[in-house]
Amino acid sequence: MSQAGCTAVFSQAALEHLDALYGYAMTLTRNQIDAEDLVQETYLRAVKAFGQLMPNSNLKGWLFVIMRNAWLNQVRHANSGPRFVDLEKEDDDLGDWVDKRVEDPYAIYLRKLERKEIVAAIENLPSVYREIIVLRDIEGFTYHEISSLLGCPAGTVMSRLGRAREKLRRLLGGWQGSAAKAV
Amino acid sequence: MEGGKAQRRRLFNLFRMANCREIRDHISLYLDDELQGSERVGLENHLKQCEACRSRFERERRFLEAIRQSKPLHTASDELHSRVEEILSTTGRTNLVPTRLRLGIKRSLANFTQTSHASVLSVHTMIAVAAVLLMVLFLGLWTVSRDAKRSLIGGPSEFALMAADTHLRHIRGQLPLEINAGAPEQISAWFHDKLPFSVKLPNYQESSGQKKLYDLEGARLVGFKSDYAAYVAYQMEHRPISLVITSNQVAQPSGGEEITAKGLTFHYDSIDGFKVLTWSDRGLTYALVSDLEERGQRSCVVCHDGSKDNESIAPLKPKT
Repeated sequence: MSQAGCTAVFSQAALEHLDALYGYAMTLTRNQIDAEDLVQETYLRAVKAFGQLMPNSNLKGWLFVIMRNAWLNQVRHANSGPRFVDLEKEDDDLGDWVDKRVEDPYAIYLRKLERKEIVAAIENLPSVYREIIVLRDIEGFTYHEISSLLGCPAGTVMSRLGRAREKLRRLLGGWQGSAAKAV
Repeated sequence: MEGGKAQRRRLFNLFRMANCREIRDHISLYLDDELQGSERVGLENHLKQCEACRSRFERERRFLEAIRQSKPLHTASDELHSRVEEILSTTGRTNLVPTRLRLGIKRSLANFTQTSHASVLSVHTMIAVAAVLLMVLFLGLWTVSRDAKRSLIGGPSEFALMAADTHLRHIRGQLPLEINAGAPEQISAWFHDKLPFSVKLPNYQESSGQKKLYDLEGARLVGFKSDYAAYVAYQMEHRPISLVITSNQVAQPSGGEEITAKGLTFHYDSIDGFKVLTWSDRGLTYALVSDLEERGQRSCVVCHDGSKDNESIAPLKPKT
């Protein structure tokens, strides 16, 4: 394939991941303007690094890695470092959000399991949990891909994902807790 | 007598509880498609018998399904879409974006063009160097078979994808071996009665009296299309090689680059950076996965003598 042909294929394929990248950017930044800037920065970097992309590479994973690195750089430049929320503290910090939903967990859960509820619950997760839920359950990356993307062992991915889902269950009404009791 | 019965019942309940705990720990892995082989089948069998775990499984499945159906969480605006399209375009275009971004894009595209040219030059240089190296490395080892035919016939087969995925899971420690043994006879004996087909691993290495080129690590069963396939793990120069075997009634090699040699048709794919060769022979379908050079054809030595079967291996080597 000619160079122009390769570039056109790359451009088309890269564009198909725009929504996914924007969603991930929103996960990282929690701000529409910052997210849009991060998406543009990601594509600019991708265009520059296109020559390094190996044939048959996982383009989506590659773009996500670029985005995460770009974001980490931005945060470092802001002299604050990537500040994830203290997980233990967050565990006890669900407050009223959960209390409104615990009176009849199973029924409420089934009734309210609507998209906006889930989206709101994901948005309310601490950063590290939100990120791993987005990568696994929204974007469908495998544990191995997430492990490469986050630069942590697969075991950490599994345990973090387990904790993230547990917290999400609580945010969605504690239904898993009642299920666990029933068994 | 009664005491004995009670003790047995207690032991049974204890075993069942431990088993249920283990099963519940694995439900997420199963639903994330991260569980394979006997663990996957074991979980499925347990669920058939245990209502409590089945109920737990169903709740977890519905929960994950609900989360996954909430995709996408956000959608990029049309404006962002246009801006990204502009960034991805390769020729200079006039002002659709703000000045700051336009300058950034111009700079990126300029670098991109230079990088692309540099890459083309680098590729030519690398090909030349690789050609010389290959001549030195493989001269006298392999002869190019005249009856080899190559053609590209599409994406990798399901079997090739499964083999690459299994290889990956094994490397990252998610797929422990069920038997650790270095002798092919031991592995062949272990597979006996576990598979609906017969697996007999050759032992060319030992019988040839040549320098040891690879080590057999062990084996396990892996699930594929509601049946078991054989998984055998090797190491060559500290690099893992996986051999997956199933019946050709279950999987037929297809897709990838087709290479015909010595009456066999090989299918070569590069999947997630791994070199995957699949082929069928005498009722069985094989997949060899490695990260070895070129098409990973050196991995063929796990079943072929280094010199005796060179004519079979040679056509798998890419033409330079």
